Amino acid sequence: MSPAQPKSTARSVTLDALWYSNPIFRQILGICSTLAVTNLVLNTLVMCVALTIVTGLSSWTVSLLRNAMPRNIRMMVETLIMAFYVIIVDIALRAYWPEMSRNLGPFVGLIITNCILMGRSEAFAISNPPGISLLDGLASGAGYSAVLLLISIVRELLGMGTLLGMPIPFFAGPHWDKWVIMVMPPGAFFMLAVAIWILRSLGSATEEKPS
Amino acid sequence: MNLSHEFGSALVVCFAAIFTGNILLTTFLGMCSFLSVSREVKTAVGLGAAVVFVMTCTTILNWAMYWLVLVPLQIEFYRFILFIIVIAAFVQFIEMVIERYSPPLYYSLGIFLPLITVNCAILGAALFMVIRKYTFLETIGYGFGSGAGWMLAIVAMAGIRQKLAVNRIPKGLQGPGITLIIAGLMALGFIGFTGVLQAQ
Amino acid sequence: MKDKAWYPVLFMFLVTAIPTALLIGLSQYTRARIQANTQISFEKAVLCAVAPDSAPTLRGMALHQRFLAVINTNISAAAGAYRLMDGATVKAYAIPFAGKGFWATIKGVIAIAPDKTTVLGFQIYEQSETPGLGAEIAQPWFGKQFQGKTLAAGVAPIIFRRKGEPLGPHDVEAVTGGTQTSVRLERLLNDAVATWRAALINARTAP
Repeated sequence: MSPAQPKSTARSVTLDALWYSNPIFRQILGICSTLAVTNLVLNTLVMCVALTIVTGLSSWTVSLLRNAMPRNIRMMVETLIMAFYVIIVDIALRAYWPEMSRNLGPFVGLIITNCILMGRSEAFAISNPPGISLLDGLASGAGYSAVLLLISIVRELLGMGTLLGMPIPFFAGPHWDKWVIMVMPPGAFFMLAVAIWILRSLGSATEEKPS
Repeated sequence: MNLSHEFGSALVVCFAAIFTGNILLTTFLGMCSFLSVSREVKTAVGLGAAVVFVMTCTTILNWAMYWLVLVPLQIEFYRFILFIIVIAAFVQFIEMVIERYSPPLYYSLGIFLPLITVNCAILGAALFMVIRKYTFLETIGYGFGSGAGWMLAIVAMAGIRQKLAVNRIPKGLQGPGITLIIAGLMALGFIGFTGVLQAQ
Repeated sequence: MKDKAWYPVLFMFLVTAIPTALLIGLSQYTRARIQANTQISFEKAVLCAVAPDSAPTLRGMALHQRFLAVINTNISAAAGAYRLMDGATVKAYAIPFAGKGFWATIKGVIAIAPDKTTVLGFQIYEQSETPGLGAEIAQPWFGKQFQGKTLAAGVAPIIFRRKGEPLGPHDVEAVTGGTQTSVRLERLLNDAVATWRAALINARTAP
């Protein structure tokens, strides 16, 4: 895992979340809620931003309340806090960006069940000060987002020839036969497997280098 | 709408939920337990059966909660919290009932129940039910179908992985990597069902 | 204080009550806007369908004003269709259609010329079909192919054909890979158009 650090510094927290304990290719957590929207980069971007903000704010709130929270109802309170922020995002999308809200469907709400949120709350925010908990939440969200954005870029480019809705010169032209499978669910499975394969192989190669 | 039309519609929804719109292979819900519990057929069947039961019952309960309580009170946004509470409470209740009335069943099935509470497929099914505005009969079909579809996927996956256990798999792909590729191939296979539903 | 029995209850109550109050406030504040959004997206679809080449880039209130200025909303006088007026002459009929798609409701507008046969435009404004497949019905390329087509007589004014088949004056190309969506869209579109035509004939022959 991460190289030994005496206590959680901002640097170690960020590195951990982005690479050593990356939620997607290391822990394989929380892929359910976003994988379905990775066929379009814009949708993925919105989902990832939403998830990062919610993770950060939930971790921050849980950390603020950590001393006042009774141990035995801990999980219920954490769930309520996460739900609160997710609902705000859902209502805001529905009011100010209705088309995106329709595209994302129920997946905004499913952020609540995303294992990452509960994972960060339980593993970090409950026993750390608010400032660094906020950073940890945001960094976990960023690590998650980076991999998913990579997957969505490949999917949209190969499957539809566009990026963020704008046609890309070679891929949108007549010489490129669009890979429809990239637009469909199997494409997401394959891309995620390939991403995990590449990133894990890269990770173990750097870790096995003699120090 | 007459009753036979409603039943027909519910059956179509059920069929679609199992095959053409499989909640795991098409909308990617319930992946975490899918990736970790799909190593042996026996455990997969156990978890799958539990999921079918919980999903059918909670989707129906959530339908009632949504249309009879939340909508009249104009607090539809509360559904995220309420559905989770209903699911958690239901699973807790079932656990108590099973423990009380059938200890053998509890010992074989009991460990799965906490796993189900965090299974995003259960909440996802309820949320889809709201978005697609299913009627009561359609909800029964959808809840059962989603659960059955999820069970079908996880049992099939377990069967395949049991056969793969003796094969050499590249290091980076071991575990979740190869499981996802198999899932992708299964999803591809299920797309073949799309043409079956020509009626309606 | 944390050890008292009532503390968890109080804590739970506060953690539930305060956010709920905030959320109810937010929900009420945005409720009117959400309803307005739905109305605006419908009006935009009507305006885009009746005049596809000069599609307005207006938004919000400006779009609503334009809609009220040029569209006759007395739909009962035109068998359920909205009319694009230029003074007292009808320039187009806009027929809304809605029904169950493959996943959820599909809503759209089809615009017919005053000759009641030529199609002027087609616009989907609500759908939850599979992105890249069924959802292609909302893409510009799909709607564009309706322009200039004519309505066939009978119960199937527009026919959806597979990709590669020759397209006649009443035919459009269905979405490849979105068969279920295309089938349902074809049915609900034709139902709406055929019903409107029948209602017009009845209105004309009514005493």
